[in-house]
Amino acid sequence: MTTANDALHAPSHDHAHEEHHVSFVQRWFYATNHKDIGTLYLWFAFSMFITGGIMALCIRAELFQPGLQFWQPDFFNQLTTLHGVIMVFGAIMPAFTGLANWMLPLMIGAPDMAFARMNNWSFWLLPPAAALLMISFFVPGGAAAGGWTLYPPLSIQAGMGMDLAIFAIHLLGLSSIMGSINIVTTVLNIRAPGMTMLKMPLFGWTMLITAYLLIAVAPVLAGAVTMLLTDRHFDTHFFKAVGGGDPVLFQHIFWFFGHPEVYIMALPAFGIVSQIIPTFARKPLFGYVSMVYATCSIAILSFMVWGHHMFAVGMPASTQLFFMFLTMLIAVPTGVKVFNWIATMWQGSMTFETPMLFSIGFVCLFTVGGFSGLILAIAPVDTQMQDTYYVVAHFHYVLVAGALFSLFGATYYWLPKWTGYMYHEGRGQFHFWWSMIWFNVTFFPMHFLGLAGMPRRIPDYNMQFTDFNAMATVGAFCFGLGQIFFLFNVIHTIRGGVGKAPASPWEGANTLEWEVASPAPHHTWETPPSLEIVEKGLKAQGLLGDHHE
Amino acid sequence: MQSTLQQANRKLAIRMMVIACMMFGFGYVMVPFYDAFCQVLGIDRANSDFANTSAAVIRVEFDTNVDDGLAATLEALDPVLAAKPGGLLKARFRLVNKSDQPLKVRAVPSYAPARSAGLLQKLECFCFDALTLAPNEQRDVTVVLLVANELPAELGAATLSYTLHPELAPS
Repeated sequence: MTTANDALHAPSHDHAHEEHHVSFVQRWFYATNHKDIGTLYLWFAFSMFITGGIMALCIRAELFQPGLQFWQPDFFNQLTTLHGVIMVFGAIMPAFTGLANWMLPLMIGAPDMAFARMNNWSFWLLPPAAALLMISFFVPGGAAAGGWTLYPPLSIQAGMGMDLAIFAIHLLGLSSIMGSINIVTTVLNIRAPGMTMLKMPLFGWTMLITAYLLIAVAPVLAGAVTMLLTDRHFDTHFFKAVGGGDPVLFQHIFWFFGHPEVYIMALPAFGIVSQIIPTFARKPLFGYVSMVYATCSIAILSFMVWGHHMFAVGMPASTQLFFMFLTMLIAVPTGVKVFNWIATMWQGSMTFETPMLFSIGFVCLFTVGGFSGLILAIAPVDTQMQDTYYVVAHFHYVLVAGALFSLFGATYYWLPKWTGYMYHEGRGQFHFWWSMIWFNVTFFPMHFLGLAGMPRRIPDYNMQFTDFNAMATVGAFCFGLGQIFFLFNVIHTIRGGVGKAPASPWEGANTLEWEVASPAPHHTWETPPSLEIVEKGLKAQGLLGDHHE
Repeated sequence: MQSTLQQANRKLAIRMMVIACMMFGFGYVMVPFYDAFCQVLGIDRANSDFANTSAAVIRVEFDTNVDDGLAATLEALDPVLAAKPGGLLKARFRLVNKSDQPLKVRAVPSYAPARSAGLLQKLECFCFDALTLAPNEQRDVTVVLLVANELPAELGAATLSYTLHPELAPS
């Protein structure tokens, strides 16, 4: 078995030879290798991130000062809608799936994902979906303009841009479901010998639970938008009040999907920082088992709290209380996680390389987002805050400082493994501090705007909101500029960076992916890692023998 | 060995696909479930009766008061009703005699705004006659209103208030 491992460190002539015969088109368009597909996913997600980001900047430009400067209100609504849809379904979710594709097989000692061809298919559904969304700007009536939640009656009355959005969501959902089936099967069936479920890296756990969540809720969203589609064109009346339907029903179905979706975008982030923090604190993750249980509890609770998005639609007080208390209950497992991350850092030999900075930034800012979430969970407060900028501030703290920062951290952490080169540390740290500062300049004032009553999804506003809006716009443009720098950073690393990376560039990293050479060869773990290697890593992670299964 | 793994993978994938299909169906099952849920709990939801946008809908609220010192209660069982022009409206009230003595009472109606009296015409009302309640008797009574065919567009809501007075013996 050791020989198999040695073979991974030395470039394999067989594989190198085999790759020579593969053309660019064959390698990338017919890709079945989990690393290639992971790379495709990550580049796709980044391009969507830039696309959605440009829309965000268009929104912020309009909001720089009161009055209408650049866009008509209808186009402004199209921008907010597509910004949301693209960031959620096109950027964050595919980025996590890409990471899972790249890293999961390496981390659990599998040769590839369970269904390599389906993997190719689930990726190639994404570009057509993105194309449908982009084309929708140019059809009569423009793109969908009812907000990313697509509430009827707006979404029933909208033009054909909404149909394109619905088809795009179908494709994106199908892609997510296939990707999730792949992840679940890979994690459950092809782990290395000796790696039992409770010895698996936490990233594996969070991706597994996320995949289950997606399999459970993505079809529900597909159902909801299908009902929208038939209401629009086939004379059904699910949500049309004229025919006896109820628009509020759409909100129930949508948020039954939508709330778990929030955790679909948060749990993988939890997994990533749970890998990074122990590495740079040089200590095993504190409370591994409680982390696993906390992840499961969050997932289960996420199915029971959708009503907190709908406090303002008119709900019996008892139902409001039910949703309010259950929502607050989610803070408990989330608190367990934050506690464990801090306890992992406690008395560790910490160093502050870029991935660690992004992870600590994640913990701090995600906690702020969590607290504003707790405030919004209180039904009477939520009634006041409904659809104000406070909500916008809250979910951007969760999704930008949460999901996005963890993705940046993951990129810097695994970039040496992907490219075989080290990134420029100073530039990485500059990217972190730049993002950290301008993120807060952008989104922190939105709390004040919301508390003062500024509504979201509005292109014009009262004079009193001018200063904080101007501040947020300046922040947003600087934050956006920083991401170009990130792209430059990554390309610089791909082209050689600051030198070759060793198999394990991080002193405290003990998971299996660091056992293979950098860059990871095209084929890894074709022979599963030996028990010896697995146990060595598990011992270093404090996972051997000191907890029950 | 390889084929066993492949079989296990396939089995798991099929199970996941079945779950996904069932969850797609679950979205549709929520439709009748939601209807039933709202009906059982009496949750006020969008009603197709209100969808006739060509006719103004009037909201009628029922208010109740009891004279000081009168040992009785009057409660509107349907405090808010929506009425269509030309339609009939039936509202229920609950009268309770809280004393151990027989009680003779009369309910006196009043409208706000006052002109709605002409638009909501009483066809039948418990206020037409004095009522005698046995000791501790609880009685449900009704009022039936005929809504005028032509309602002024600006009249969105009307309140019909009843005040319960003791019926004085004719002098």
